[in-house]
Amino acid sequence: MSSRSRLSILPLTLVLVGCDREARDYRSLALQSHEPANAFGGNAYHLAQGQRLYGWMNCAGCHAHGGGGMGPPLRDDEWRYGGNMEQMVATILDGRPNGMPAFRDRITEDQAWQLATYVRSLSARTRQDMLAGRADEPANVEPPVLDERKPVRRVTPKQDDATEE
Amino acid sequence: MKNGANRWLLAVLAVLILIVVIGAIVLGAPDRRPDPVFGDKADSLAEVPQAASRARSPSWYEAPRENAWTMQLGDPSGSRFSPLSDISAANVNSLEVAFTFDTHNERGHEAAPLVVGDTMFVTTPYPNDVYALDLTTPRPTVKWHYQPVPLHASQGVACCDVVNRGAAYEGGRLFFNTLDGQTIALDTASGGELWRTKLAEINKGETITMAPLVAEGRVLVGTSGGEFGVRGSLTALDAGSGAVVWKAYSTGPDTDVLIGPEFEPFYAQDKGEDLGVHTWNPEGWKIGGGNPWGWISYDPELHMIYYGTGNPGPWNPNQRPGDNKWTAGLFARDVRTGQARWFYQSSPHDLFDYDDVNESILVDMPFHGEMRKVLVRPARTGFFLVIDRETGQVLSADPYAHVNSARRVDLVTGRPEVNPEKMPKPGRVTRNICPAAPGGKDWNPSTFSPRTGLVYIPHLNLCMDEGEVEANYIAGTPFLGADARMFAGPGGHRGVFTAWDPVARRPVWRIREDLPLWSGALATGGDVVFYGTLDGWFKAVDARSGKLLWRHRLSSGIIGMPMTYRGPDGRQYVAIFAGVGGWSGAIVSGALDPADPTSALGFVNAMGDLIHRTEPGGKLYVFALPA
Amino acid sequence: MKRAAPLILALLSAGCSGIQSADGRDGIEGALIGNLFDVFLWTTVAVYLCVLGYLAFAVWRGRGHRRAQAGLQGEPQPESERKWRIGLIVFSGATALILAGLTIATWLTDRALAKAELASPIEIEIIGNQWWWEVRYQDPVASRIVRTANELHLPVGRNARITLKSNDVIHSLWVPNLAGKQDLIPGRISDLVLHPQRTGVFRAQCAEFCGLQHAKMALDVTVESEAEFGRWKAAQLAPPPIPTGSEALAGYNLFLNRQCSSCHNVAGTPASGQVAPDLSHVASRRTIAAGTLPTAHAALGAWVADPQAIKPGNNMPKVPLTPAELRAVTAYLETLK
Repeated sequence: MSSRSRLSILPLTLVLVGCDREARDYRSLALQSHEPANAFGGNAYHLAQGQRLYGWMNCAGCHAHGGGGMGPPLRDDEWRYGGNMEQMVATILDGRPNGMPAFRDRITEDQAWQLATYVRSLSARTRQDMLAGRADEPANVEPPVLDERKPVRRVTPKQDDATEE
Repeated sequence: MKNGANRWLLAVLAVLILIVVIGAIVLGAPDRRPDPVFGDKADSLAEVPQAASRARSPSWYEAPRENAWTMQLGDPSGSRFSPLSDISAANVNSLEVAFTFDTHNERGHEAAPLVVGDTMFVTTPYPNDVYALDLTTPRPTVKWHYQPVPLHASQGVACCDVVNRGAAYEGGRLFFNTLDGQTIALDTASGGELWRTKLAEINKGETITMAPLVAEGRVLVGTSGGEFGVRGSLTALDAGSGAVVWKAYSTGPDTDVLIGPEFEPFYAQDKGEDLGVHTWNPEGWKIGGGNPWGWISYDPELHMIYYGTGNPGPWNPNQRPGDNKWTAGLFARDVRTGQARWFYQSSPHDLFDYDDVNESILVDMPFHGEMRKVLVRPARTGFFLVIDRETGQVLSADPYAHVNSARRVDLVTGRPEVNPEKMPKPGRVTRNICPAAPGGKDWNPSTFSPRTGLVYIPHLNLCMDEGEVEANYIAGTPFLGADARMFAGPGGHRGVFTAWDPVARRPVWRIREDLPLWSGALATGGDVVFYGTLDGWFKAVDARSGKLLWRHRLSSGIIGMPMTYRGPDGRQYVAIFAGVGGWSGAIVSGALDPADPTSALGFVNAMGDLIHRTEPGGKLYVFALPA
Repeated sequence: MKRAAPLILALLSAGCSGIQSADGRDGIEGALIGNLFDVFLWTTVAVYLCVLGYLAFAVWRGRGHRRAQAGLQGEPQPESERKWRIGLIVFSGATALILAGLTIATWLTDRALAKAELASPIEIEIIGNQWWWEVRYQDPVASRIVRTANELHLPVGRNARITLKSNDVIHSLWVPNLAGKQDLIPGRISDLVLHPQRTGVFRAQCAEFCGLQHAKMALDVTVESEAEFGRWKAAQLAPPPIPTGSEALAGYNLFLNRQCSSCHNVAGTPASGQVAPDLSHVASRRTIAAGTLPTAHAALGAWVADPQAIKPGNNMPKVPLTPAELRAVTAYLETLK
């Protein structure tokens, strides 16, 4: 192989290697896009940040690692207040009547989108290749890598909960 | 030569393969031993004590009136004992349902109904409705129905189901607490509200679930919220007006904790100034927990109340170095002024959520030859404590459940010797800690029978794995820092019903139950003891031998407290609430996901089978002998 | 090349001076390792010179030798063979002896480091986070435990035993002037002993790649007299007063009611977040954001306004603040001395 062609292979390789790399959005430019749901929902960096925030903002204290406790489980298909990203972000920011606190002034809007991205991954609604195999923080439970959505298990009949005002 | 060698090689190989195959068959074969059946029989371990060496009711003890049950623990000494003997060990097996009352509430029902004469008072979990039932009609009718309408958002800051542990009655008034932190007094004749006082702020994670105690004109109310970093407090309200008479915090400077010149703790580590500040990292006491959400006993002779404080916050102990006074310990206070007399910390620098809020049963008993005024309590730590109720000295501490988190309690210093292997380490999971976070026994109260001198303890056999994470404090959200996962302790059974002799310091008989026991117990003059299981079996056992005499399957799991009374028609009735929930039943009442072992603070891992064995739904069952 | 030489020299010696000097001998541990370094350096320099010298001699002598041997078919002479053998043995022996000597020197230094006198050390705990340091000064009375971030104060002449933990990934604490590196490994506890001998200001660095902002994870180390250290510690234990000026008070209210208190802790206020650096006395530190910026009005404002522009990928979000709010919050932070 001539040295010229050898030289040209090198930058080509470098370019190809850089092709599939996901853009890390530190400045929350995704918030300004038309479809923040897609911009956040398809981004592994935002999912990983959402995973970190899930512990830091004490979501795990009420919802455990998706199984619920003081709050309802997040791994199944039942969403009392809606399961798409916009509805989840509204739930997180504004709270809900039966005890979900409002996080509007406690986290920023892009952090709420990051959390919603992570919560969706708990019920297998995000791409498998986006899921972190392991968080940066030591974890006491296995990473939630659900590959199929859990069926709704309704044992408690719908009770007289407060309705939206 | 070669052939011979080959033959030997083949032979050796054949033998090895044979060993492997046989081993696989033997080891892989299903265990053909029959599954142990739990709950049907009692293991007899010792003799029932003789009268002379028996614990007895305190000298001032008066049995409750036959047609009344005015407080959750039955009487101020906390015995949950009724002298009624119409229902006895001989005839209890013909007990049948007299009537039921459906609350149309699907959460956990922990309270017992109260009875005063012709009227029964029933309280429910959130939304904390109160019903008065007329007992004179054959099927009881609702006299009045009071709805306090607590804030919806309070459901989000209740750690362990939206339960309520019941009301208290005194002088024509019914006192109870709501989940959003209000104490309400009702006129029992009309159901009208006499006063309501707000004692808790749900935005800080504070709620109230406990049953108040009325003593010397004071209504005593303690907060809940140890999982939210709530600084706990016990308040005494004037029974007539609802005004605050005194308020004692569980952490902070001595002036807030009402520690003054009267305070004379028995042990050296409890003596000092402002220990509620100095045994915490700076300002840690402000978000330190210590909520007194459990039981209060009252000694009218000494004018003292005895109550325990809850766990320190957060669960992660590395964030709160120091002994964390005055959490996870027992206070003795003067009920008139609230001033503390003594304190004993059963779990200094608590590592495992061992709240100390369990009941203290006041008894007089012989100790080393002389009669002592003591209180006996099966603590969360798994030790059965006998404490002198005048001085706070621990007379004995013996494990009534399987314990490996502490080796023993040193009676000279009063401190438990924590097992260093079980101490939580940052970034690692500590395995097989016994007892688990709900302890050897959680809130559900035991009962004491002066006829046998035994304490009947419905309790747990659970162990847990626990891992720490850094806890972040945001007011109104959980302040935990730990992931836990519980499972059955040694033996495979998750619950135990033990008859314990506090004088001889050992169990007399023991029933192993498959499911954890989360109901209270009741002992009667007929030598029958009642308790219920999480899959709905309400049981009567013989007080002396533990033999199962009668049982009845209720429509839902039982986490309530049984009580008994003589009705207007002269018959003895036994009442118990069905309605699974609480911390142990949260998997059912909250429809939680068993695939996540850390749900419900780790309890779900141990309770996966409960969803197939019972359903939610609150219903009061009242039993009587056939007319 | 000639122009580049001084530049190269300057770059090469940049790591050997100032507050982050890899050759720093300001602590006993650093001095021990420095001495060992000197032993290695001069030994190897001597060996190097010997080798170079012999090489030069061989080259110079070899020119005549080759011409003489050009006509002969090489056949080894018994005499020169003996000389070669002796020479080989001597040189191998010398090398072995030198290596053994260096090994012994290393072992002696290690032993000295391990036996470092630990009489009444100050107990400090440092917890590594991405990408900041939490520093706690232990005390038998729990209420005297000082919790601060990104700064380490040590009294001169006294031992300090630092227990190292990590909340997320592996970091490494390296105070070049004082001692060697020690890793902070999640799930494990390691320790480092420092015994500073000279007062001064030093800069420590995270020395194990830990993520996006590993390069901007520095620790400000101040070695001062015992009296100054005591004063500093006492000041750390006193909570900062609630501000009285109107702008700072507005900033205080913003701090409590907005995102700041979800993560940060300021003593004496309801803000008790635990996952971000403690800000109780942030204005008294020399740098902020783990050594990224100096603590000056403009830098504080720039950091609060847009931390992602300065330290992209770090865990402090860009909180949307109006210019007036930004001024208020900055004014409040400056009161936290």
